[in-house]
Amino acid sequence: MERKIGVYICECGPNIAEKVDIDRVIDAVSPLEGVVVAKRYKLLCSADGKKFLEEEIKKHGLTHLVVSACSPKEHEKTFMEVCKNAGINPYLFQLANIREQCAWITDDKDEATKKAIRLTKAAIRRVRYHASLEKKEIESNPDVLVIGGGIAGIEASLQLTSPDRKIYLVEKASSLGGLITNFEKTYPSMKPGSDSIKQKIQDVNKNENIKVFTDSEVEEVLGFFGNFEVKVKNVTEEDKTVEFNVGAVVLATGSTLFDPEKTPQYGYKKFDNVLTSLEFEKMNISGKISLKNGKPPKSVAIIHCVGRDEKGYCSEICCMYSLKFVRYFMDKIPDVNVSNFYSDLCIPGKSHQKFYEQTKGKNVDFVRSSDVDVTKKGDKLGVQYKDENGSKSNLSVDMVILAPAIEPTSDAPQLAEITNISQGDGGFFAEEHEKLGPVSTSTEGVYITGCAQGPKDISDTIIQAEAASGKILSSLVPGRKIEPEVKTSHISESLCIGCKLCLSVCSYGAITFDEAKKISVVNEVICRGCGNCVAACPSGAATIKHFTFNQLYQEISEAVQ
Amino acid sequence: MGEKDQYSDVLVIGAGIAGIEASLLLSKADRKVHLIEKTSYTGGTAIKFEEVFSNMECSTCMVAPRQQELLQDKNINLLTLAEVEDVKGSFGKFTVKIRKKARYVDMENCIGCDACFEPCPVSLKNEFEEGLNERKAIYVPCAGALPNVPMIDTEHCLRFKGKDCKACQEACMFEAIDFKQKDEQLELKVGGIIAATGFKIFDPEQVPQYGYGKFDDVYTAVEFERLYASNGPTEGNIVLKNGKAPKSAAIVHCVGRDKKGYCSSVCCMYSLKFNHYLKSKIPEIKISELYTDLCIPGKSHQKFYEKMKETGTDLIRAQEVKVDKQGEEKTITYNNGNKKDSLQADMVILASAIESKDDASDLAKILGISLDEYGFFKEEHSDVSSVITSKPGVFIVGCAQGPKNIQDSVSQASAAVGKILSLSK
Repeated sequence: MERKIGVYICECGPNIAEKVDIDRVIDAVSPLEGVVVAKRYKLLCSADGKKFLEEEIKKHGLTHLVVSACSPKEHEKTFMEVCKNAGINPYLFQLANIREQCAWITDDKDEATKKAIRLTKAAIRRVRYHASLEKKEIESNPDVLVIGGGIAGIEASLQLTSPDRKIYLVEKASSLGGLITNFEKTYPSMKPGSDSIKQKIQDVNKNENIKVFTDSEVEEVLGFFGNFEVKVKNVTEEDKTVEFNVGAVVLATGSTLFDPEKTPQYGYKKFDNVLTSLEFEKMNISGKISLKNGKPPKSVAIIHCVGRDEKGYCSEICCMYSLKFVRYFMDKIPDVNVSNFYSDLCIPGKSHQKFYEQTKGKNVDFVRSSDVDVTKKGDKLGVQYKDENGSKSNLSVDMVILAPAIEPTSDAPQLAEITNISQGDGGFFAEEHEKLGPVSTSTEGVYITGCAQGPKDISDTIIQAEAASGKILSSLVPGRKIEPEVKTSHISESLCIGCKLCLSVCSYGAITFDEAKKISVVNEVICRGCGNCVAACPSGAATIKHFTFNQLYQEISEAVQ
Repeated sequence: MGEKDQYSDVLVIGAGIAGIEASLLLSKADRKVHLIEKTSYTGGTAIKFEEVFSNMECSTCMVAPRQQELLQDKNINLLTLAEVEDVKGSFGKFTVKIRKKARYVDMENCIGCDACFEPCPVSLKNEFEEGLNERKAIYVPCAGALPNVPMIDTEHCLRFKGKDCKACQEACMFEAIDFKQKDEQLELKVGGIIAATGFKIFDPEQVPQYGYGKFDDVYTAVEFERLYASNGPTEGNIVLKNGKAPKSAAIVHCVGRDKKGYCSSVCCMYSLKFNHYLKSKIPEIKISELYTDLCIPGKSHQKFYEKMKETGTDLIRAQEVKVDKQGEEKTITYNNGNKKDSLQADMVILASAIESKDDASDLAKILGISLDEYGFFKEEHSDVSSVITSKPGVFIVGCAQGPKNIQDSVSQASAAVGKILSLSK
């Protein structure tokens, strides 16, 4: 096909016109092969300018468009839109930045002009090698797999469900509810914890669009956003598996507690009456706080930050729930002495300090301490510690409650592998972006919520469950097709040597290996065009559409000529 | 919305990081969004930061693509210099009155070349830069502001004070300056409302012991952010008032915490970030961090702290911190455990509490929601979603609901969108 390239140079008012000799640029590029027209215009991004470009494309029957103007960040989309409206493929267009890269960086008009000529020529050379790219649309399944039936999974399911969207809620245990079922009350409101979840479990069970699998594990998740194939296995009846398709996956698998046996100084499992926080919650909700001998404790030590040094992070909620424990005691055994052994009191947020102030009392002690040790002292337990000034001290108590760090569940590595996401800090599931993508992951359509993403309280867990729902409800709409990335990678069958390097660098799981042909294959629906595989490929088999070697080579060789 | 005669458009108030997230997500769901922003620019407070903890990513580079996306999104109707005046109706059927101030610069014609600034004869303190440099009466708050279109400050522009000045208009090659623009009143019909109006920082002049406003080189955290910002008043050079680089700096945590009655949750982390700022520009600087309790919750933050410890910074647990001046240097006295101690520093940075905006109570009244005892927008109750208010259809996100970091603000924004899409499907 004969190329008819139109070149248009924007004056950008005085911005380019005063610093670049535009006529010289036009003279320099007019004779180039394929260029049928080269003109200047006052402001191409204006309404008049866009209309002018559209008319020019039609009038000259242009097949390719080059605009020399500002940064692609500013107006690449604008001119691609113009191409579309004028009937040429928007990828048969190239923008040369002669404002930020020429006009605005020097007062030397001659230098600016020379560089503008180079950049414009390079753009012309490049556009010759451009290929049309078409947007694709694929059908998507609006149903959602939610893994984990705790508060996060339940909230997500309830918010996502609708008559045209089915939710599959998979829970490892034999009943829904998760950790919160053990909490008599939640801070800072001190409202019932386990009771509130019961109502929600009922709502889930009543909802005919939510299919609940208890005693079940997800065995396999294959596919991509909009089209995942899922296999769920019943753990009590090993051979019973169910298969279904969904469009998105929510991981709400929660967390577990650091095992205090790994920090023997606290005497856990060595001495009676040393409990973890969860054991204490369970004891409390069962109705009676008591020692092994059946009597109520007269003195209690709550040791914060158990396992923090080993884990390397602050678990965020331990200070607050320790204060809640003090409240439990104040309500049930008012004359008990409670001592909190803490390092730094971490009670962030608007409503927590007040809770702390209200928890202080005559029988409640807060001891800033380090090097805490628990020993047996007759019938009692001895807590040895270094106080704030470094001097050693000790205290005898009847009961010790440990606040161990929050850590990922033991099946987190397996779940990460199944859903093709990674584990980040502390072994928790890694979010797509620390700030802007807290519930998304590197695999599109797989979301992470609650303590599976990192330690957090119930309120923040609910927020993340709702945030994941927001992401899904906005991008996976029943009846709407999804548009995958256009500028994807492609691996040449004949050049690929089967080294599999690309598989290891792809963050999105878009590349698979064809064992029969011994070559790597890109799934264009999953590929996001990051270019990692292109950089890694030793044989030049991987290329990115619209950024092919040839396109870049042609552009650069013209620019540096 | 599913039900007939309900409005599907959504009003988002505040174009900071939370409002941007909410708007883009709603647009993705094919909802039309009216995004109301009081200032002339988008990005809120996040664009004042050069870097964000804990991966020290460039904040502008993080936010700018989102701002750009916002401006190009056809589902989003961004109204700058606009405020909500009245809200009537209920969830699914709100009628909102907006007052939009004239910018006096045509958004279509202006290309953001800045040619109008120089000829303007008026100079005054730039609020965006915390008053650390000057701007003109026609201005953008900082280089790289989006939309990159200046506004005219009619309180200071000579023309609006009766003089016949048209210096900016004469300098503009694009006929973008339009003195005839008028303030507008708009009426919008929306189904849901998300309030994402952000925060301000506690004024340390209310706690005079820190010497803020009395001594030179005592800065608030936001002022210091701008001192380090490459598009800020010193182009990122951390200097004292006398033009020299500081040899020592003290970062004081928890400023105003006692007055406010809560921990602002982000100050410890950004103070550690400041340590990095200072060390990266002035490697030999001596830094002291004066804190009460180190609050660095979450899986990624302690790592950042461990790294900071290696830089040789003095971490001092301190109470009753007081700043005095002796010659050029500032003397900081404090209680450490039971003993009194002191140190010297050229520069003092105050990590001031996060508090609600001055107009939060007015806006709450208009929206029909309440404020909590601290002046933040009040969630209905803390056991359900914190974005729900007592008024159905009105959601609160980001620091307008309470102090929090960017990640949690973004989560809340997505959560509010989830609520709206879920309740009106």
